[in-house]
Amino acid sequence: MMKKIIKPILWLALLVILIFFPKLFGIYYTNVFVTFAIFATYAVAVNVLLGYTGLLSFGHAMFFGFGGYGTALALKHIDGIALMPAIGIGFLAAMLLALVLAPVVTRVSGTAFAMVHLAFGQLFYILALKLRNITGGEDGIGNFPIPAFTIPGLISFPMKGDPVNFFYLAMVLLGISLWLMWFFTKTPFGQIQVGIRDNEKRIDYLGYKIPQTKAIIYVVSGAFTGLAGSLYGLFHNLVSADGSLGAMISFSPIIAAMVGGVGSFFGPIWGTAVFQVIEELTHRFTDRVELVMGVTLILVVMFAPSGIMGFVNTMKMKWHAYTASKAKMEKTS
Amino acid sequence: MNILETKDLHHDFSGLKVLFGIDLQVEEGERHAVIGPNGAGKTTLFNTITGTYHPSKGKVFFKGKDITGYKPHKLARIGMGRSFQITSTFTRLTAFQNIRLAILAKHGIRFNLFRYVDKMKDITRETEIMLERVNLINERNVPAGLLSYGKSRALEISMAMATDPELILLDEFAAGMSRDETHNAVAMIRKMTEGKTVVIIEHDMDVVFSLADRITVLHYGKILATGKPDDIRDNQDVKDAYLGDLHV
Ligand SMILES: Nc1ncnc2c1ncn2[C@@H]1O[C@H](COP(=O)(O)OP(=O)(O)OP(=O)(O)O)[C@@H](O)[C@H]1O
Ligand SMILES: [Mg+2]
Repeated sequence: MMKKIIKPILWLALLVILIFFPKLFGIYYTNVFVTFAIFATYAVAVNVLLGYTGLLSFGHAMFFGFGGYGTALALKHIDGIALMPAIGIGFLAAMLLALVLAPVVTRVSGTAFAMVHLAFGQLFYILALKLRNITGGEDGIGNFPIPAFTIPGLISFPMKGDPVNFFYLAMVLLGISLWLMWFFTKTPFGQIQVGIRDNEKRIDYLGYKIPQTKAIIYVVSGAFTGLAGSLYGLFHNLVSADGSLGAMISFSPIIAAMVGGVGSFFGPIWGTAVFQVIEELTHRFTDRVELVMGVTLILVVMFAPSGIMGFVNTMKMKWHAYTASKAKMEKTS
Repeated sequence: MNILETKDLHHDFSGLKVLFGIDLQVEEGERHAVIGPNGAGKTTLFNTITGTYHPSKGKVFFKGKDITGYKPHKLARIGMGRSFQITSTFTRLTAFQNIRLAILAKHGIRFNLFRYVDKMKDITRETEIMLERVNLINERNVPAGLLSYGKSRALEISMAMATDPELILLDEFAAGMSRDETHNAVAMIRKMTEGKTVVIIEHDMDVVFSLADRITVLHYGKILATGKPDDIRDNQDVKDAYLGDLHV
């Protein structure tokens, strides 16, 4: 009963805070928050594969990059394209990449899956450097036009050089993405997904096709990673090999997911938040951000191997088991 | 009619021969027990029938159809279900969620990304009815990995039955259960498999003789005898090879 009232209140509070965020915290922190939200969504998309299906990808930056380059190229080359279609192109580009790769990569799992992705990820990184006349090589594609967000005849919000408007756009799109991914985990399909993580053999014996199931999750994960990448490119008005396709771009969401807890939907968001805060604080004293992050990861792996949320959930499960056995004791005595 | 039939079924593991030409016949509606000493190849027989392995030679027929080499999910969809000797549940999902996956499979709900599974009232009700029938309703919200041994075995076999298959293969369902738990499991299987065909692998002769309509004895990868329980009990070969030491 209490839970039913408290939950909507918390969500409402979050909504209100987000609406007034730019006013309350200023431009600097508004931008910090956009970065956080992009990487949090990215980490959740990675975790849909990692935590919910048991598939670890070391090359998700390629989807992030496809989203970014897709949107940037569309805005640069297609005259008069509106903002939403350009973002849509980034999303679809990443989705298409996932669709093409899915038949290959869903036949393997474990280490092979991780390594195949490392290879593909590096391949696209190198391609982005080599195909200079399309991708701009090392410089990437910068300062491409960013149209205003318009609903013809109704509203027009300029985006270029307007971080507050961009903040709202990003919040809406990322919010919808997160909600959709969360919703998928609550559908019958989401149940099959966690079933695969726990026990592939049994899923097969119940009559579910494993490669097809994995393929759908893979495409969902790739597409939303692409959306995050698209927004990231717009946010910086720049997409580059190092910024959007580099190995660190593949690793950081995995690390965030592990710190927050891969077993939970919201874990990767907490993990991203922790790293964002650490990064902010560390920057004030030193440039060795990676060092501090590495140490954090080691500490988490040692003392809370299933992350922040994993720790909370284990406690919950133990409580359930305890109450069940207690109920039985009371019955027998 | 034979619902399940194997013809000259062979299997080997990279050179180690385990099955030598098995001709198993299971009639529709019967409860058939496969018995034999450890390492006789009973589980391997199940594995070649249900698609874990492709047999190295021979054929398997289900409902008159050649199903040799079919994958497990395909067999599940045409009405074959099985349980495992070593418990194989979804350890991090609750008992309820475990059974629900089987119920969803039974209804062919696979790629539904558009509805809250928790709000599918019919599925929830059917899952709960199943949990009640197999006496797991008190453990509804306990993760399978935290269930007691007996309860996790009960979950294991009820998942095989929850998809409502026509043919159910149960590999040592009572393994490691206490006397009482075995007794309950036998009663449960009797009740839940009425009108269906069941093949059990079992070491406990009390269970075998109380449950089986017919028995096949497997010995070093070959069928030693097949017949009614009384015939098997009196069969001299079987006594010499196997039952003799078990004092039935
Ligand atoms: N995957 C495998 N690889 C290699 N050898 C195997 C494999 N599975 C089973 N065997 C061997 O095949 C033989 C038969 O094993 P199987 O598990 O079918 O016996 P079983 O009759 O089920 O025995 P139990 O009563 O102990 O369960 C054994 O010698 C076993 O060691
Ligand atoms: Mg066995």
